[in-house]
Amino acid sequence: MSLLDALHNKWYRVEDVAGPDDERRRLLDLGVTPGEELVVVQSVPLGDPLVVMVRGMRLALRRREASWISVR
Amino acid sequence: MHSLEAARTASSTEAQQVFHPPLETKSQLLTVCLTGAPNAGKTALMNALTGGSFRTANYPGVTVTLSRGKSKAEFGSQVLLVDLPGVHSTSAVSPEEELSCRVIEGRHNSVKPDALVVAVDATQLERHLRFASFVARQHKPMVIALTMMDLLPRAQQSVSVSKLEAAIGVPVVPVDGRTGWGAADLMSALHIALANPVTRQSALVSVPEEPVSAYQSIRDLLAASGALKNSNQFLLARDSFTARIDRVVLDRYFGFPIFFAILVGLFSSIFWIARPFMDLINWLFSQTGHLLLALLPPGALSRFLAEGVVGGVGAVAVFFPQIVILFFLMTLLEDSGYLARGAALVDRPLSYLGLHGRSFVPMLSGFACAIPAVLAARTIPSKRERLLTIWILPLMSCSARLPVYALLLGALLPGAAWKAGMTLGVIYVSSLLVGALVAGLISRLILRRRTASLLAMEMPVYRKPLLKPTLRMTWSRASAYLKRAGTPIIVISSCLWLLSNFGLGSHQPAPADGTRAPLVASSDLDHSFAAQLGQTFEPALHPMGVDWRVGVGLISAFAAREVFVSTMAIVFHVSEAADTQQQRSLLENMRTATFLGSSKRIFTTSSILGLIVFFFFSLQCLSTVAVVRSETNSWRLAGLQLLFYTGLGYLLSSALVVSLRFLGVD
Repeated sequence: MSLLDALHNKWYRVEDVAGPDDERRRLLDLGVTPGEELVVVQSVPLGDPLVVMVRGMRLALRRREASWISVR
Repeated sequence: MHSLEAARTASSTEAQQVFHPPLETKSQLLTVCLTGAPNAGKTALMNALTGGSFRTANYPGVTVTLSRGKSKAEFGSQVLLVDLPGVHSTSAVSPEEELSCRVIEGRHNSVKPDALVVAVDATQLERHLRFASFVARQHKPMVIALTMMDLLPRAQQSVSVSKLEAAIGVPVVPVDGRTGWGAADLMSALHIALANPVTRQSALVSVPEEPVSAYQSIRDLLAASGALKNSNQFLLARDSFTARIDRVVLDRYFGFPIFFAILVGLFSSIFWIARPFMDLINWLFSQTGHLLLALLPPGALSRFLAEGVVGGVGAVAVFFPQIVILFFLMTLLEDSGYLARGAALVDRPLSYLGLHGRSFVPMLSGFACAIPAVLAARTIPSKRERLLTIWILPLMSCSARLPVYALLLGALLPGAAWKAGMTLGVIYVSSLLVGALVAGLISRLILRRRTASLLAMEMPVYRKPLLKPTLRMTWSRASAYLKRAGTPIIVISSCLWLLSNFGLGSHQPAPADGTRAPLVASSDLDHSFAAQLGQTFEPALHPMGVDWRVGVGLISAFAAREVFVSTMAIVFHVSEAADTQQQRSLLENMRTATFLGSSKRIFTTSSILGLIVFFFFSLQCLSTVAVVRSETNSWRLAGLQLLFYTGLGYLLSSALVVSLRFLGVD
């Protein structure tokens, strides 16, 4: 499923990272790689972006960016 | 650790036996670049190593220009340190990342590193070591500075420096740039690395470039080394200090109220705290003026010093406390880590306007000064969003406007400090809203083609800012501001005093004894050079409801906006000096100033409001034009910006004055 549908504060494993080439590469560079575990910590007041914790880092991801990440 | 240091000392002695210390035999200093992922503590490290002050902040991507400095002499042979912008991704996206990669790979024209120091955040080893592997592939002498060690207990981790060093085959030195702890060890490790260019192959070199396998191989490397213990990400995500603060400041209901409360608190405390200091400075300058007049023999020179130099500089210096407090609070906010949250909060509304969450920091800096703000816009990845941010930055109410607004509001609302404060608040908020409007209109009407845009922004952990580094940073920013603004202020106020106190001899009343008038003579303001120049463009000022004396102020403000205040001090002090012995404050002089040859007052409600509107829009800052040109590499955008905002200011100001007077508001 997409990271957008992930429950908050529940850990998931990244299955695949899609999206346009440059953006996809950026997410991989930041450590959002298939097999890695991540958790949606919260979303900011307007619901966008989401705050995701991955590899010990808090990362603000727009919903558009989160939709490219499929998790299990 | 102990065996490690022993090994280091041993190889150091060896180095001195085999090589001459290379740094002392060369006349030119070796270049050492500080690199790392954003927010790894590079800039604080730069501070510790050089003993100088550079921009450092707990916000990803604050180092936007290459700051340089010599290492402190107490650390042995000096090297030239260059602080490179942080790099998230070596498939460079933003211009500053590209710049860093160019330098590291040796493709930069002027900066050629002889060695590299990689700042690695101990709490985020995997990500930061992956960047270190990119550096290691360049086969240059390198040292890893392990930062954020104080955060390890909070992250419930521990890192063994010696095991890490053994595993990756690169010297690792724990440091804390903010306190200077470990800086001497880092420098001696660096000297050893420089003296022994042929070291054993680092394990990092074999880390592949492709991210997925790179992360896997670093994870394997760390696991095999046993350097990292007890990493409990699960707990960290929910129950850490940072998570608890984030739950409050990013709360669905409280997030925005807290955000606005912080901004309102920021700007209102500038006025409350600064008041006593401003009174003190005011008193000091007026006493100095009196003293000069009393001590020096009466004549043009003593008046020039007292009124032109001391009076002109004093009128601006009075606002220095406000600027210092603004810089101090901004530095605190940056260092605490809140600014990144602010950027995340406003990303959605800003991207609706065609901007980016990262536009928030340049915009906020724009309230201090447009020049660092334009530079800070480099962190915005997409060109379209970056140019749009730069386009609206001159609207942000910068600190140079503060003296002008304070003066005009003082004249508009005498004796009601809170009303002036409220109005100033309205001006600040409006400058943000108008900036948003301009950005929205341009992105909807002109730059309609949307390009790819990515947020993916790191939110650093909260850290308590340390007082000393914060004060040092405040001082370095404030003194840089003073240096930049100070020279034009002194030069322009001196020139203006001369122009408004001397005129062509033939225009002066004939001397009583019938001698011929000299070519240039001491003059009253009405017959001075300034009057002759000013009167030629006075018709253009009629719609704004002001006379040529204010016009001289508006023109001189193109050097720096705050020059307007010192100009007012000179033109109105000079013109009123005749009928009063005691020095009256500028405000009183302005309040009683009238158009020449009539009893009509110049500073009325409508004309003051008109001036405020003019300063609100007009791009009266040639330094901003210069920096926009160099950042965008085109005169077109910079020139267009100058014409657009100044023209808009003139039109809107005139329209306001004319319509207010039509409605009967004088």
